[in-house]
Amino acid sequence: MTATEAGALAPAPTQRKRPIGLLLVAVPVLLVLWLIIWPIISAMIQTIWLPTPEGGRSLSVSSYEFFINDPYSRANLSITLWTTAVCAVLLLVVCLPIALYLRFSDSKLAAYVQGLAIFPMFVPSIILSFAFIRVLGPNGTVDLLLNSVGLPKIKSPYLTPWGPVIGLVWDNIPLTVLILLSGLGNVSNQAIEAARDVGAGRFALLWHIILPRVSNSILVAISFAVLGIFSAFTLPYILGPAAPEMMGPFMQRTFRDLFDPTNAITQAVITFGFCILFGLFYVRSVAKNRTP
Amino acid sequence: MSVLTIKDVTKLFPGGTKAVDSFSLEVADGELVCLLGPSGSGKSTLLRMVGGFETPSAGLIAIDGEDITRMPPEKRPTGMVFQSHALWTHMDVFKNLAFGLKLRRLPATEIKRKVEAVLELVGLGGYGSRRVTQLSGGQQQRVALARSLVLEPKILLLDEPFASLDQHLRERLREEVRDIQQRVGITTLFVTHGQDEALSMADRIVVMRDGGTEQIDRPDVVYRNPQTPFVAGFIGTMNLLEGTVANGIFTRASFSHPLAVADGPATLAIRPEALDVTPAEPGAAKVHRVTDYGTHGLLDLDLPDDTRLKAMVSHPAQYRHGMGVNLTPRAVSAYRNNAQIFRSEA
Amino acid sequence: MSTTIKVARPVDWTGIFFAVVLTLVIVVPLLVVGTWAFTNVWRFPSVIPQEFGLKFWYQTLARADVWSSITMSLTLATTVTLISAVICLPAAYAFARMDFPGRDILFFSFLAGHAFPKFGLLVAIAGIFLQLNLIGTFWGVVLIQLVGTLLFMIWIPVAAFQSVDRRMEEAARDVGASPFRVFWSITLPQAGPTIAAALLLSFVGTFYETEGAWLIGAPQVRTLPVLMISFINNQPVIQYGAVLSVLLWVPSFIALLFARRVVNSGSFAKGFGA
Repeated sequence: MTATEAGALAPAPTQRKRPIGLLLVAVPVLLVLWLIIWPIISAMIQTIWLPTPEGGRSLSVSSYEFFINDPYSRANLSITLWTTAVCAVLLLVVCLPIALYLRFSDSKLAAYVQGLAIFPMFVPSIILSFAFIRVLGPNGTVDLLLNSVGLPKIKSPYLTPWGPVIGLVWDNIPLTVLILLSGLGNVSNQAIEAARDVGAGRFALLWHIILPRVSNSILVAISFAVLGIFSAFTLPYILGPAAPEMMGPFMQRTFRDLFDPTNAITQAVITFGFCILFGLFYVRSVAKNRTP
Repeated sequence: MSVLTIKDVTKLFPGGTKAVDSFSLEVADGELVCLLGPSGSGKSTLLRMVGGFETPSAGLIAIDGEDITRMPPEKRPTGMVFQSHALWTHMDVFKNLAFGLKLRRLPATEIKRKVEAVLELVGLGGYGSRRVTQLSGGQQQRVALARSLVLEPKILLLDEPFASLDQHLRERLREEVRDIQQRVGITTLFVTHGQDEALSMADRIVVMRDGGTEQIDRPDVVYRNPQTPFVAGFIGTMNLLEGTVANGIFTRASFSHPLAVADGPATLAIRPEALDVTPAEPGAAKVHRVTDYGTHGLLDLDLPDDTRLKAMVSHPAQYRHGMGVNLTPRAVSAYRNNAQIFRSEA
Repeated sequence: MSTTIKVARPVDWTGIFFAVVLTLVIVVPLLVVGTWAFTNVWRFPSVIPQEFGLKFWYQTLARADVWSSITMSLTLATTVTLISAVICLPAAYAFARMDFPGRDILFFSFLAGHAFPKFGLLVAIAGIFLQLNLIGTFWGVVLIQLVGTLLFMIWIPVAAFQSVDRRMEEAARDVGASPFRVFWSITLPQAGPTIAAALLLSFVGTFYETEGAWLIGAPQVRTLPVLMISFINNQPVIQYGAVLSVLLWVPSFIALLFARRVVNSGSFAKGFGA
């Protein structure tokens, strides 16, 4: 898309039509203020400015204390951290080789591999969950095949912590590959050839020439994945264990099933806290790309 | 039947730079006037102010006496041909030409008649259903011209219309455009930074520099009698020599020439074709390089202080690198303080 | 990696490895779902179904909850896309072509939502909706989806508008078109294909959005993905879910046909900060 390529706010328009421009952007901007900025601020205020038994409100960190002191909440947080970390590592291990292959291969298979790697983008995660259960679930395809050759059934990852991990990795492959591939585009063939010319082997090439130039893309890919995985809902809700559960299903259950918005929002603010560095880094990278 | 009047027009850009500095010009009916100048001279800004795409900070623009200074472009009786054509690529040729007519709510048969007539005029009869992206650069330029002409504007504005074409096509198209302009008899303002274009097409040339006018004259006059050293250097090849005049003699290094002006510094301008060269040792200048163009030759000459001069000769074969020559100008102009102080004709 | 002139191409073992593995983990699971959808009987431990057929298509399509959620999903996605287009396209044009105070900061404000984990943000929004009684309402879900479409419905069209040659617009003014007419007849058609892609993205994104719909809408507002969750969790007949999966994939398939080239171009990834 040549469109997104063009630097965002490039030409300084010569005419000055101040009021009209502001008027035209007013509605979306107000929506952002009302439904993104305000909820975040309100969430922080709401969770430290709690109702008192006397009917008023006062400054209190009791909902955070509850979260920290509650072993179940802590278990949910640690399973979320574990899942996010494992997914991030697995994504890199899976996607970096694919991206490297796609960048440096001139084989006809590369187009097919790229097509497959991007395909999950066009498969909604709800269909993915269903396919996961049919293939890896009890009596799924894998069991069928093992059984037909006389092997025992697998220990299904369905409803274990590995369920969401597999689903989330699958789901995040396309964008991770695309981001890494775009970063690898910055490594020129000449830089590679020059390094080989002075005698760099494959490993030296990867370590000294390629990785330093794509480190930023790797960070962006990881940030994007972390932001998506940390509060993922659908895949952990369907594929993951009932307890402990990841933060996404945990927040949903606290909010809708336990009718406890204050604690649900407390959990949300805690996820913000854990992701804030990744979020800021990610937003900064996107913004940098769009500035001329 | 239209006269364009530009009076004391000034354009300030944000930041205070003067793109155009109190510029005045009157373009007579059916006349083609060329705005010629280097980039940044304000010629495009001036044209865009006539077209209505920029608003003058001060001054007045009028067509046939009617003030149009603050009129939006869609209301003005001007038609503009843009650099790089600016054809609407989502429409075919016919629709490109018909768009303006449709806005004027002409009946469909009338639109068809007018579009076909103007396509014939620019030599593209039968091209109506082509997509504009299928056309060559020259054809696109003709469509752009036709798109303006079909609305029968009072003033035609051309903004470096040949800039994106190759040399050969450029030469052919400028003849065609000049032809069409004279046949239609439309008052035309033309912007270019190519002197060839200006010299070959214009009735009058306005040489612009830093938003102001250097000279307004017929092309042959601008060439033969440049009023400022800038015009002298900008149009055609010119030897410009900075020197001093003492007792009626201009001197620069080993070169001297009688010049009947008061004593003081002066710039002497000599065309290469007006500089006679005769072999002499040691001579006033040395031959640096000889270029043989077949029909004539061009000598690069060095004065002892490394000032480079060019001279046209009819028999280049007789010159060699390092030869000494004496120089005799047949026609010169001299300038002091940016104004002409002397001129002699061959 | 040989850079000299190759006479015989060496076998691309790496490529074959990736192709086989990716086919196994990406294509096969989806084929299994597709097979289930056209299966009348498939009992363990048979490797292939005992009986193929369309029996469960008739049964699934006879269910009222399936039809009501299809209608709900289509209505929701259409409503959100239309509203988003109406409010975002003029804004995108303003960002692309006009100057006004705070232009840059407002432009980047649309990124705000992306600095936070999505479901956390949804819970925070739900906290606001709770006070406004928007939980469990159609318009509550519309609002939450609308917020999700803002970023690319502004950013993609801004880029599209900016890539329209300004001189094309000036040429239209020159032949007598008013500024609005120029936008309608020149700018919009020129930016059209890219804007259409943004609209498609918005429609498909809303159609499949599960988390906001589930948190804000369920159980009153039941979209197709929300129905699918309950099929997965509570429905013993596997084929219902399989048939619904195939139905559910249709918009994505259409998006795939149109958007593949866009997605494969490097600039798409740049939009994600690569």
